[in-house]
Amino acid sequence: MRLINTVLFAACLAVMFTIPLWADQGILFIAGLVLVEMVFALSWNLLFGFTGLASFGHAAFFAIGAYLCGYALRADIGAPFLLLILAAGVAGALAAVLTGIVLLRRTTGIHLAIFTLALAEILRILVGYSTALGREDGLASIPRPSLELGFASFDLASGEAYYWFLCIAASVIVGFLWLICHGPFGRILVSIRQDPERTTFMGINVPAYRLAAFTISGATSGMAGALYAPWAQIVTPESAHWIHSTQPMLASLLGGAQSFWGPVVGTVLFSIINYSTRNLVGLAELVIGVVLLVIVLAAPSGVVGLVHELRRRLTARVSHAGPGAEGKAGSKGKFVQEAA
Amino acid sequence: MTTLLNVDNVYKSYGSLPVLKGISLTVEEKETFAIIGPNGAGKTTLFRVMTGEVLSERGRITYADHDVTGMSAHDRVQLGMGRTFQVARVFPEFSVEENIIVAIEARLRSRSESSLPWYRTRPRSSVREEAGALLQDLDLWSKKATEAKFLSHGDKKRLELGIALAGKPQILMLDEPTAGMSPSDRIATTELIIRLRAANAMTVVMTEHDMDVIFGLANRILVMNQGEMIAIGTIDEVRANPIVREVYLGKEMYGADG
Ligand SMILES: Nc1ncnc2c1ncn2[C@@H]1O[C@H](COP(=O)(O)OP(=O)(O)OP(=O)(O)O)[C@@H](O)[C@H]1O
Ligand SMILES: [Mg+2]
Repeated sequence: MRLINTVLFAACLAVMFTIPLWADQGILFIAGLVLVEMVFALSWNLLFGFTGLASFGHAAFFAIGAYLCGYALRADIGAPFLLLILAAGVAGALAAVLTGIVLLRRTTGIHLAIFTLALAEILRILVGYSTALGREDGLASIPRPSLELGFASFDLASGEAYYWFLCIAASVIVGFLWLICHGPFGRILVSIRQDPERTTFMGINVPAYRLAAFTISGATSGMAGALYAPWAQIVTPESAHWIHSTQPMLASLLGGAQSFWGPVVGTVLFSIINYSTRNLVGLAELVIGVVLLVIVLAAPSGVVGLVHELRRRLTARVSHAGPGAEGKAGSKGKFVQEAA
Repeated sequence: MTTLLNVDNVYKSYGSLPVLKGISLTVEEKETFAIIGPNGAGKTTLFRVMTGEVLSERGRITYADHDVTGMSAHDRVQLGMGRTFQVARVFPEFSVEENIIVAIEARLRSRSESSLPWYRTRPRSSVREEAGALLQDLDLWSKKATEAKFLSHGDKKRLELGIALAGKPQILMLDEPTAGMSPSDRIATTELIIRLRAANAMTVVMTEHDMDVIFGLANRILVMNQGEMIAIGTIDEVRANPIVREVYLGKEMYGADG
């Protein structure tokens, strides 16, 4: 099983990195967007799938990062690109701390969802009024930067070059989130999602942990936005639109919110559906709607959960034949890494 | 003997319903203190007030020389309080072992006993060993890989006891530790608590409906009825109390012999 996972993972990485070698510009552009949205979806799911908090306005953090990066690149302030990405992360984190301090003290359930949604819409409308940020038209013709690493410098102007940079940057952020989710901190978050009271009585300051998760999520969402701006080369208030906020939710539900890789799988599947129905107006929405309906009804744990279930049944059948058949469902902890 | 927990004239109501009407008690170090009373007497509410799940409206609670009256629950845990719930609460999606591991790690984190780097995804071996020893103690070792939601009622109760013990509490508060158990499970649990209490030099505060369990465990008893204190004292003192006899008329109080 571990071998299958490793092979599968390596294959995905190989496909991701070789896309510029075999795909056309259109697909390459979509692949870049998938990388950005993937980071965004994982950021959102750190809150939802791991901590049990539903933010319905997460596009706000994404937009903050995107506008910050787009504005700085257009103004040509000379800051290194990596620093801009970090700055976008800090800005996202700050916005998350401020909203988190106000919102998480009072509310965590449906009210949190509504409040975040409202705040994001307010931000979108304010940005639409701002002349410096290009009003409704946004910031267009954002130049792609070059990457100064001290010992070497890479021009990211071409689509291929920036795409490869996206691959690496996304991998770093995803790797960071993976460690967060699977380490002792992540285990506490999953405990909080399952039972905040029980977690409190293990001596954990639950509001502080929720705020920390919110902050990390805001930071990585902001960084996703910063990666997006030079890729699309345009940032509009639409990036803060509630429709954009629903993307990580739909991706997580489709892929499986309880699994770390669920949002990634969901994001990829959504783009495939969108791409293969691109010539038929309205069909993409219909297909996505039907797919979601089926998933929610038939596989509440998403595609990843479905695959796990199928695998479990297969192995159960195999071991049933031999002696010492495996016992109950899910007889192996999923949240703690097994010793090698 | 030194006093560990002191509850002084505590009041609590839910809306307009007064549930605790001036409760006072002291728990000495290493004793086992039981709170009994009919359904709705306010035992669980008193538990919630003592552990900080809810705050009292009047009165004072001190714990190990700290005034904890307005202190948050997690801070009280860090001072050494541990508890279980009347209806066992475990983490249903975690395996039995993960339930204990996460509780040990929470203790290490919250009491800063040792640093747990966020990037180390595998629990350190000392945590695993501690969890293993505890699971063996609780007779749950053979089920360590089972997801907690699949456990039987009794196993869930014991696992929750394990989660509380993983916090290495100085005082352990058990809200009806044998509720819903078969008579044989009750005896086993009583023996388990006696063993764990001695091994960890713990003070225990408990509520319980089963008098055999009470007589088997408690040094002193508080009897409550409708939010009021009816009697407090040793088992014999309480048993001789005429008001208690009235409240418990015909109940197990007479049947069992301590
Ligand atoms: N959250 C709440 N809101 C309103 N009323 C409550 C709440 N919790 C308990 N009560 C009421 O307070 C009273 C005392 O309840 P409590 O749970 O403390 O009793 P108890 O002694 O633990 O009873 P039991 O033996 O059934 O566990 C009851 O009348 C109950 O209905
Ligand atoms: Mg009760």
